[in-house]
Amino acid sequence: MKILTTVKKVVDVELNIHVKDGAIVEDGLQYVINAWDENAVETTVQLKEQTGAETTLVSIGGGDNTDIIRRCYAMGIERGIHIEDPALDKADSFIYARVLQKVFEQGDYDLVITGKQAQDTDNGQTGIILAEYLGLPCVSNVIGVEVIDDKHLKVSRAGDAGTEIVEVELPAVITVDVSINEPRLPQMRGLMMAKKKKIEVMDLAALGTSAEEIGCAAPKSEVIEFMESEKRSGGRKFEGDPAEVTAQVVELLASEAKVI
Amino acid sequence: MNPYLMSFLILVALAVFARTMTGRIKLLMALEPADRFNRIKDRLVNLVVIAIGQKRLVGRARERSSGIMHAFIFWGFCVLLIRSLMLYGEGFQEGFRLPVFGHENLLGYLYLVVKDIMEGIVLVMVLYAIYRRAVIKPKRLHNSFEAYLVLAMIGILMISDLLYDGARCNLVNIYHAAGISYLNHPGYGPEFAWTPVARAAASLIGGLGQPALDGLMQAMFWLHICTQLTFLNILPLGKHFHVITALPNVFFKSLDYPHDKPKLLDLEDEDAWENETLGLNHIHQLTWKQGLDLYTCTECGRCKDVCPAYVTDKPLNLFEFNDHLKHELLENADNIIKRAELVRQLEQCRDQQEAEKIKEKISGLNSQKQLVGEVIGEDTLWACTTCRACEEVCPVTIEHVPRIIAMRQGQVLMAEAYPKELNPALKGLERNGNPWGIGYDKRADWAEGLEVKTMAEDSDVEYLFWVGCAGSFDDRSKKVSKALAQILQKAGVSFAILGTEEKCTGDFARKAGNEMLYQMMAQENIETLNNYGVKKIITACPHCLNTLKHEYPQMGGNYEVIHHSQFIARLISEGRIRLKPSVSGALTYHDPCYLGRYNNVFDQPRSILKDVCQGSFKELERCGQESFCCGAGGGRMWMEENIGKRINLERTEEIVRQQVSSVAVGCPFCLTMIEDGMKELEKEEEIRTLDIAELVAMSLA
Repeated sequence: MKILTTVKKVVDVELNIHVKDGAIVEDGLQYVINAWDENAVETTVQLKEQTGAETTLVSIGGGDNTDIIRRCYAMGIERGIHIEDPALDKADSFIYARVLQKVFEQGDYDLVITGKQAQDTDNGQTGIILAEYLGLPCVSNVIGVEVIDDKHLKVSRAGDAGTEIVEVELPAVITVDVSINEPRLPQMRGLMMAKKKKIEVMDLAALGTSAEEIGCAAPKSEVIEFMESEKRSGGRKFEGDPAEVTAQVVELLASEAKVI
Repeated sequence: MNPYLMSFLILVALAVFARTMTGRIKLLMALEPADRFNRIKDRLVNLVVIAIGQKRLVGRARERSSGIMHAFIFWGFCVLLIRSLMLYGEGFQEGFRLPVFGHENLLGYLYLVVKDIMEGIVLVMVLYAIYRRAVIKPKRLHNSFEAYLVLAMIGILMISDLLYDGARCNLVNIYHAAGISYLNHPGYGPEFAWTPVARAAASLIGGLGQPALDGLMQAMFWLHICTQLTFLNILPLGKHFHVITALPNVFFKSLDYPHDKPKLLDLEDEDAWENETLGLNHIHQLTWKQGLDLYTCTECGRCKDVCPAYVTDKPLNLFEFNDHLKHELLENADNIIKRAELVRQLEQCRDQQEAEKIKEKISGLNSQKQLVGEVIGEDTLWACTTCRACEEVCPVTIEHVPRIIAMRQGQVLMAEAYPKELNPALKGLERNGNPWGIGYDKRADWAEGLEVKTMAEDSDVEYLFWVGCAGSFDDRSKKVSKALAQILQKAGVSFAILGTEEKCTGDFARKAGNEMLYQMMAQENIETLNNYGVKKIITACPHCLNTLKHEYPQMGGNYEVIHHSQFIARLISEGRIRLKPSVSGALTYHDPCYLGRYNNVFDQPRSILKDVCQGSFKELERCGQESFCCGAGGGRMWMEENIGKRINLERTEEIVRQQVSSVAVGCPFCLTMIEDGMKELEKEEEIRTLDIAELVAMSLA
């Protein structure tokens, strides 16, 4: 089995993100692997351990992604591709999906594993659009994967009503949720060894395509402006006689919060 | 008596002994180096106080009776060494006396009386020891055939010598009654006026005639000699090797810092990764001093008696830990010695092909057993809180903790096997410089509105207040940071914090074996501190204190670091802050391990607490040097505690038993653990858990 896994470099959302003049203040920010993609990598490595699958990772944009790709090497991924091209600066999910389609077509893969969303944009589109472009079956929000045979996976996904167990024929695309596993921490030895491993960096031309072909000129969606999220004000604590407090709260809900 | 038999016995016994000892010493010399030959004067002081003075045996109130027992047996042995020389002399020439200890001078008589009384005392002590093992059966003792055998041998040594003397005393009297000098020497006889115990033995055999006494003397003599030579040869084979190794082990103990600091590993060294030399992965990687520690362990069990992990039923039993390592070491002795020889050859080898061959041979000599997993259980290794209680009570100064940390390093770096629940904390450290994983940019949020400067704003200050991760991110500990800031401001101390530039010191990562993350943290912190030219640091976290003070110098960070309790005590004594006692009810204090046992700060917290307390100050049952860990050290704060009783509960129950209304702590981890314990026991309303700084802030006049 050949697995292609996607990884996005995103801003660490543990930090306070500040916005100035409609743009994010870069100063003090740090970048990490998108949490869901880390689960995708973990899923991939587990499948490799079970079946001996070949593993390839692709990451698009983000400037210098060496750290992130090395981390994935240290987790157990064998091959890393980084697509970097100035034309991709304003890429949206559709464009990412087009690029991934190109990567897929070059590699004869059986399975694509992506995180179900990225923690910076929370769009959750890329994997699904990729499946559409490739004309492959797609299972989203995956919380468990089992290999049936070379051509079939048994996949569980978190559906609206409960867990759905789906059998899917390969090749296919799955997008995984964070609850699927606990990603391993890359170990030092692996990190040391990863330093020696090559990362294949390509631009669009090297990938055999162009900005025009994948629609960079006219993205379907565009970020116009960033706004800082509103700070949550602290709660209020009421103490005293339950009857009095209740009356107080009801009064405030009507007068101040205007919800009743 | 019989020079031929005597020579034969001595030769055989010494030959066997020399053979065993050569093997043992060769094995030590094949182990890794440890630099323990400096500062001979300080080492001699330790030797006199701890070994010869038996400080940790007679000095501990909890173990005084057995301590005194052991001390007298030891001192008795020291005294009897001279007597033994005389006896060996008698084997060649009856009536032999050492030059200065003869009958002619006072020293000889003084020695006789001391020796005689000591023999009596040792005999009583041996009887007490047997009684203790067989009847009292203290929990920490592990009864073995060897223990009884050795006690019996010591008893036989005393009895045979006393009866030997007693028989001679009676003989001398019989001779004198007949008007003949014993051994044709008028000097024999008066010495027995000095030996009450031997005379008592003499009276026991008073009815025997001359031939019987002659026979008895002969028998007792050879019994004594044979027992002693057998004893000598049994010593190196078991736990009684300590009779020989304890003195050198104490002599070579760590100076200054209580134990070997974790080794600063060269993580960039690719060969080290290749050859698995990072951390302690194989038995041959022990240092010779660690080997000597294993030889010396007496299996007295004092360590497990005070071990928080053992007391709460975790699988860590330190004397078994030592014993298993010792067996592994001895089983592999030949291979380890061969290996060391090959390593030397490899170093001198210039021919690549030859070198490859040697390398192959070397790797073939590794022990067949996994050090962690087969020799020492994983749960055993990870149960340690690194509290050092074991090391503090060990009469022969065995250093358990550095070995445990080195083995954890091996597990983390080489085997990649460690409790996975550490991952979130480690990841948090890597990304945001704190084990909570909270955004690093929120590190100074606790100080909002307090007018606390950061070094970036003004680095022209006397002190850096090192807040630490708990003080910065943990809601409960933030209150401690605020209290301390308030105290410093009140006293007009010139200080600043690093704010978002501070990172975890890396303490927990290092103690959990993750040397790489530790070094990452340390390197960045040292760079920041040195850039600002920081010289003096105050901190409320003993783990930060210990790391900044003792471990950062390894990487070029040298600072004068002081715990807030020490600093507050100084402010009080200099009159820079005044306190009015405002804490009502009785108060007790829980000594944090890394403040007390690691850094010897015991008095200042107590003196402060007595100043703020209206009611009485009560000590806990286990306090000071023998304080009981809260359970959070050594990275345990970030691991599950699924086996046995929770350590913090054991400690909290002890606090509750004291019937106090507040318990003071001096460490954010202790604060969390004990407060959690109080909540679990539903005592948090009755007994408040507060940091020293909070109590002082409440009491500022």
